Amino acid sequence: MHAIETYELTRAFGDRVAVDHLTLAVPRGAVFGFLGPNGAGKTTTVRMLAALIAPTSGSAVIEGNRLGVSDQEIRRRVGLLTESPGLYDRLSARQNLVFFARLYDLDAHRAEAQAERYLRMLGLWERRDDPVGGFSRGMRQKLAIARALSHDPPVLFLDEPTAGLDPEAARTVREFIKELRAEGRTIFLTTHNLPEADELCDLIAVFRTRLLRIGAPATLRAELFGRGTRVQLAGDAAAFLHVARNLAFVHAAEVAGDTLHVALDDPDDQNPHLVRALVEAGAAVRYVEAREHSLEDVYLQLVRGGEATA
Amino acid sequence: MNKALVILQKEWLELRGERTLLLTLIIPPLILTLMPLVVISAIGRTPDEDTRQLGAVVADPAFAGLSERELGQAVLGKQFGLLFLLMPLLVPSVIASYSIVGEKTNRTLEPLLATPVRTWELLLGKCLASLIPAIAITWTTALIFVLALRLVVVSDRVYQVIVSGSWVLLLLLSAPSLALIMVAATVAISGRVNDPRSAQQIAAVVVVPLLALFFAQLIGVLVLSPLLAIIAGAALAFLAALALGGANVLFERENILTRWS
Repeated sequence: MHAIETYELTRAFGDRVAVDHLTLAVPRGAVFGFLGPNGAGKTTTVRMLAALIAPTSGSAVIEGNRLGVSDQEIRRRVGLLTESPGLYDRLSARQNLVFFARLYDLDAHRAEAQAERYLRMLGLWERRDDPVGGFSRGMRQKLAIARALSHDPPVLFLDEPTAGLDPEAARTVREFIKELRAEGRTIFLTTHNLPEADELCDLIAVFRTRLLRIGAPATLRAELFGRGTRVQLAGDAAAFLHVARNLAFVHAAEVAGDTLHVALDDPDDQNPHLVRALVEAGAAVRYVEAREHSLEDVYLQLVRGGEATA
Repeated sequence: MNKALVILQKEWLELRGERTLLLTLIIPPLILTLMPLVVISAIGRTPDEDTRQLGAVVADPAFAGLSERELGQAVLGKQFGLLFLLMPLLVPSVIASYSIVGEKTNRTLEPLLATPVRTWELLLGKCLASLIPAIAITWTTALIFVLALRLVVVSDRVYQVIVSGSWVLLLLLSAPSLALIMVAATVAISGRVNDPRSAQQIAAVVVVPLLALFFAQLIGVLVLSPLLAIIAGAALAFLAALALGGANVLFERENILTRWS
């Protein structure tokens, strides 16, 4: 069952197409990274999925509710963290949360209880009665996340949740997102922080007006760069390059200093054969590790190449 | 309705922290209340025979038989009485102009519109937040004027001419509608500008018909009667309903979010 499904979802502003025939499905309980450059249409997509703006064409179903038909229900079922925290500076942290919780149909008693729960969870309980205007950027961001959660939505849209936060606050937010995933919530995360996306996301979509590619981070790496192994040797690695190249399962091998970079399909099965061949040829193997391309490599490859999904 | 009350409560909580805005709400109405009392008191001591030539005096039978001292006070008092209709226009424009613009500048509009609040609930809450203080201030200052007037008028007859049934009816029936028209206009404009001053300035156009009424009475073209007060009240209530409906139609959530925020 998918929490979010879109089919050919499109939004144009006049002649400018912001989102072009977006088709995707986000499984329930997944952290879904939605990556793309500035102006790619990420915010427009989120606004459509949160029933804030209507699509020009196409359709979407969020938690079983069709966009354009059950918009009020969609709003009840999703929480939205906007790029800017957007809080009432003259109200206290508690008043901010209670206000929004009540707009999400919670009665006064439950709204207070939810405010307390999330203020405690995010370490803001001691400052609950202070006006938000005096809060640091990190505190405001935490409070905005608490607001998005105040009605316990099964789906959360988080737009740059750690942007502008110091490393400690960013880590707290990331840990909190992991807790939310553990609770079974679906999280639709837009971010420019690629290591963060790599750490948090089960599924990633790279998007620039159109969907460029979607998949699990490891799958995207394998699809774009293949799989491979790095073998660090004691001594001259170039002398053993031919050994690796002569193995039938090796697609390519290169040398960089004392390290061999070997492209192959199945490191789990093929690494033992590779290492055995090298050792039998007299190589002294120091380390063997998977050759990992960063998510940044994947992202840049896709965004620069403008590759379209088949 | 419940959500409209939640919004109303939030608006007032925010207003409580805005001291400059509170002073703007209180000082002009106080000046508009005290100034007429001072002027009426002063004119009672310096009668002017030219007052009899005023169109208002010629046209309005209520002034018949008054002495020159009484006439000066009565004419001025009647004119100043109309100024109390400015209150329901002044007060809400100050609060309402911040209503949607404030959400934009705070960047709270998007999270607010992301909640399942309906447009009419949002607008009703915003309107009530301005409307209730406007009516309360108008009627309170009018009451202060009525009570203090007793101390400065030269005779009971002057008092009866100024605090006439027509004037009381006009204030009771028209003030809420006038306030609502102003609030609806300001909230609608507030959604389409990014600066509260712009909203206030554009909405100030609503004051023009009232000034026309003021001068029409002064030159004797219009004589306020209970019937006229009731007709005016009904007409304004109709216009207020139109203004509120118009604000609801003009408040396009998507446009406001994508074009104006």
